[in-house]
Amino acid sequence: MWVIYTLNGLYFAALLFLTSLGLNIILGVMGILNLAHGSLYAIGAFMAAWTIIQVATKAPASFLFLSLLSGLVLAGVVGFLMEKSLIRAMYKRTLEYQLLLTFGALLLLEDVIKMIWGGQAYYASAPFDLLGAVDVFGNVYPIYFLFVMCITFLAGLFIWFFMGRTKLGIMLRAISLDREMATGLGLDIGRLSTFAFVLGSGLAGLAGALVVPTTPALLGIGMEPLILAFIVVVVGGLGSLKGALVGALLVGFTRSFGIAIFPEIELPLLFLIAGIILVVKPQGLFGR
Amino acid sequence: MGATAVSVGALGGGTKAIGQAKRPIPATPIKIAAVSFLTGAAAAPFGIPGDNTFKMCTDVINKEGGILGRKIELASKDEAGGVDAQVKLARKLILEDKVDVDLGYISSASCLAVLPLADESGGLIVAYDCGTHELMEGPKSPFEVPKFKLGFKSSAHLGIDNIGLALFIKKYYPNIKKVAGINQDYAWGRDSWLIFETAMKKLMPNVQVVKTLWPPLGNTDFTAHISALMGAEPDIVHSSLWGGDAVTFTKQALGMGFFKKIRMAYSRGEPYPQEVGKDYPEEQIICCAGTHYFLFTPPDKASATLQKWFVAEYRKRYGKYPSYPCYHAYQALYAYKNAVEKAAKAAGGWPTIDEIAKAMTGLTFPSPSGPITIREDHSAIEDVLVGFSKMTPKYPFPILDPKRMEIFPAAQVNAPVGMRTVDWINSWK
Amino acid sequence: MIKNQRWIAYAVIFVILLFVPRLLSIHDLMLFEYGLTFAIVGLGFNLLLGYTGLLSFGHGAYFAAGAYTVGMIAKYLPGAYSLEILIPAALFFSLILSIIFGFLCVRHTKIFFSILTLSLSMLLFALLFKLYHLTGGSDGLRVPLPTLLGISFKGIRRPEFLSGTYYYFLLVLFAVSCVIMRGIVSSPFGKALQAIRDNEVRAELIGIRVRRYRLYAFILSGMFVGLGGALWSFVNGHVTADLSHWVFSGEIVYMTLLGGFGIFEGPIIGAILFTYLKLYAMGNTQYWMFVIGATLIVLVLLLPNGVAGAIAVLLAKLKRKKALEGTTC
Repeated sequence: MWVIYTLNGLYFAALLFLTSLGLNIILGVMGILNLAHGSLYAIGAFMAAWTIIQVATKAPASFLFLSLLSGLVLAGVVGFLMEKSLIRAMYKRTLEYQLLLTFGALLLLEDVIKMIWGGQAYYASAPFDLLGAVDVFGNVYPIYFLFVMCITFLAGLFIWFFMGRTKLGIMLRAISLDREMATGLGLDIGRLSTFAFVLGSGLAGLAGALVVPTTPALLGIGMEPLILAFIVVVVGGLGSLKGALVGALLVGFTRSFGIAIFPEIELPLLFLIAGIILVVKPQGLFGR
Repeated sequence: MGATAVSVGALGGGTKAIGQAKRPIPATPIKIAAVSFLTGAAAAPFGIPGDNTFKMCTDVINKEGGILGRKIELASKDEAGGVDAQVKLARKLILEDKVDVDLGYISSASCLAVLPLADESGGLIVAYDCGTHELMEGPKSPFEVPKFKLGFKSSAHLGIDNIGLALFIKKYYPNIKKVAGINQDYAWGRDSWLIFETAMKKLMPNVQVVKTLWPPLGNTDFTAHISALMGAEPDIVHSSLWGGDAVTFTKQALGMGFFKKIRMAYSRGEPYPQEVGKDYPEEQIICCAGTHYFLFTPPDKASATLQKWFVAEYRKRYGKYPSYPCYHAYQALYAYKNAVEKAAKAAGGWPTIDEIAKAMTGLTFPSPSGPITIREDHSAIEDVLVGFSKMTPKYPFPILDPKRMEIFPAAQVNAPVGMRTVDWINSWK
Repeated sequence: MIKNQRWIAYAVIFVILLFVPRLLSIHDLMLFEYGLTFAIVGLGFNLLLGYTGLLSFGHGAYFAAGAYTVGMIAKYLPGAYSLEILIPAALFFSLILSIIFGFLCVRHTKIFFSILTLSLSMLLFALLFKLYHLTGGSDGLRVPLPTLLGISFKGIRRPEFLSGTYYYFLLVLFAVSCVIMRGIVSSPFGKALQAIRDNEVRAELIGIRVRRYRLYAFILSGMFVGLGGALWSFVNGHVTADLSHWVFSGEIVYMTLLGGFGIFEGPIIGAILFTYLKLYAMGNTQYWMFVIGATLIVLVLLLPNGVAGAIAVLLAKLKRKKALEGTTC
């Protein structure tokens, strides 16, 4: 059983990490707290669910990837539109306006999602069912969860490599470290910022898409992930991917074992951990 | 069709024929506000089905000439936005828009905040779906009734579901040793578990509670909970999970082999076999929040005719079989209609709000689930239906096994007037 | 000269407000009272945002502190349930909470400050939500009519209470809040805050203890918001945990921006406008979130100084025009 508890912890940690990834990138590179992050997650979820339902009776395995991609792509597109129309106007203005714009976007997108997909639930469990389960020391464990962990691992690896080793990634990091200096060095801030925002949005959509085979897409599905992503960022430290990973693992395992041993702790657990970190190390585990 | 059987003699009949016209029937339409969750997670399982039903019934009533000849003008409102927004909205509906009645409210918090406004603002409010038993109960037994002169609840509270489950388990599994619970960590989950646990302690004192889990509302990852429950090895697990959470839990639990050894008992599980589909596990204990089930035929003819029509009409319009929020919505609207018709007969014309309230108190009227009675405490009482899920060739999802359905009568699952549910259970011999 | 004009305008407005119960219907009056309580909230919030330059996305926590003080005393200490005890108690608890949270938050600025305030308010939200048996959890707490200086209001209904004695009580507290806040922002302390807002480094160099002053502003801000929350609770009749949720805090920010955070009176106007905006959006369409969100976006893009700011700009233009016209003759 304890193996399963560990796997459960890993799974939740994977969800947390992936959900926070997009938020962290935008925050780190652009210094913008994208309150519409949850909305992008929701867009990814609905798009993926809808696609899965459309494709369900046709090609078997390929639709798994198709659905994930569709969620990622649509969220990225919406992010692109957002950045071009709203965020762009705000670079010269102060922080208040950026936050309020993304807050306004959140409210707007919540209803746009309803306008497009209506108020009903979208069940898209075909990928989950398809992958079946595996026997782990006498217990049954669905392979889909392992799939999610793999994708998250790959996404994390990709971002780490991208940010650390590619020219584009290094330019993004330069912007996050010192925007003015980066401009002075001739970096095309405008294009790069758009790229960062689209990347962050796409990752939010990916997180939503991955979750949808295990839970129905419903209105408001993005509100909770926004807070979760938030907490991971606070615990791990702003803009720190290593911190997000450690934070996610910390919360994931504490939660999984906590539920088994002391269930009452579940609701406030996340905030308790965040609270302790805030008091002890306010900039987060690996924050600057 | 069915509705003609309902109208308790009020259509045409005595009202228009009164020569002296003690109270003329206005020519203007009746304004009815229907407040349900049209956004957020509660929209898909409750708000939208409820709202659909309000629209459907309004349509039908209007086609038949309305209430005493007056057509209904229905305005659907969103219950989201926060409790303070609902308070403001209810005040606006009553004081500014001057609606004849405000039907609504799924969330217990909304009900608790809004129902007092009925007396405060002088408007009729009928709460249709919220579960809390605290709504009409006073702080101590015995308490004065009614709590609100103009506030009503047209469906029974969560007490009947959880007491019903306990009674069912005692009948079918008298020898079990261990139970557990998984409920959402907010008032609904806490209250549901409280009533269930209290009833179980009385009915089956030797049963041990081995685990209680409290996932937050909107949790999408139940793997840890499923594992924890499997580790504790209970015989039956009580749950008041609803909406997306109920479906998510079921799917993930299926994937983890949960149902091989453990049985769930859902206090308001009726909608979920249809939502999950053919994969929904069999032999789960499901309660219908009353006798609200599309395959249930009430014993009295008037209600049976209504049920036939209701299921067919809802399915025709919305492509699904109606679930319990739909039945609750029906009850609210028809409580109003029947009360108006009853009061009109006594008043000899269009009744005032006080007269309608008086008529609604103690009212009994037929519904697709059977006759519904609203007592002097302004709260409806209902029988409760509990059954086992079972796959049959006729439907693409498990239905309740007709051979093992239990209907517990209202008197067995509703506390008497003026007594708190928990106190009542504790007083059982 | 200008100062006196302003105070005269205030006095005139105050007198007009005294007559409002006679001018408005009971429904509109209750709505207006929501606006007044939020105006007090806005004034407090803007001390931190407009004057000190710190954007908190978690001020709902102090609102909840004030509101829950009332609710909890109603539940546990009904003997003490009178306004003269409730108001100071609400101020006290919001003071304590803003000291604790403020201490943690003012070490940081800008985005991290916003994130921290948001997280802390959500922590309070989780606590209020979780401690169901104590706080009513998601059901919340009922707020009955209080007594005032021995006068009991038993037997009358809330709308009568709100349109009678309570309105004047609220109005007086609103006026007092305005006067006190006006005093704060015009004082040397207020000037120091603005200096900190404009240039933190320079302020430090001329001897202003930046962190300490920020904390003081935070605390004062929290107390005003807590007062608003307590006063609000009687109008609403019910308090729930979502008062501490970040979305509610977001509404406070919205209001302040709607009115304009660069002007003293801005938040007051914004509070009243937002109250009507949200209610009428919800009353008229199921897509009210779209309306509110779109309005916010348009506001930020086109009217960044808020409604009051736009009016001020307009008035200035008119004044200049008049002055010019005067000279050409």
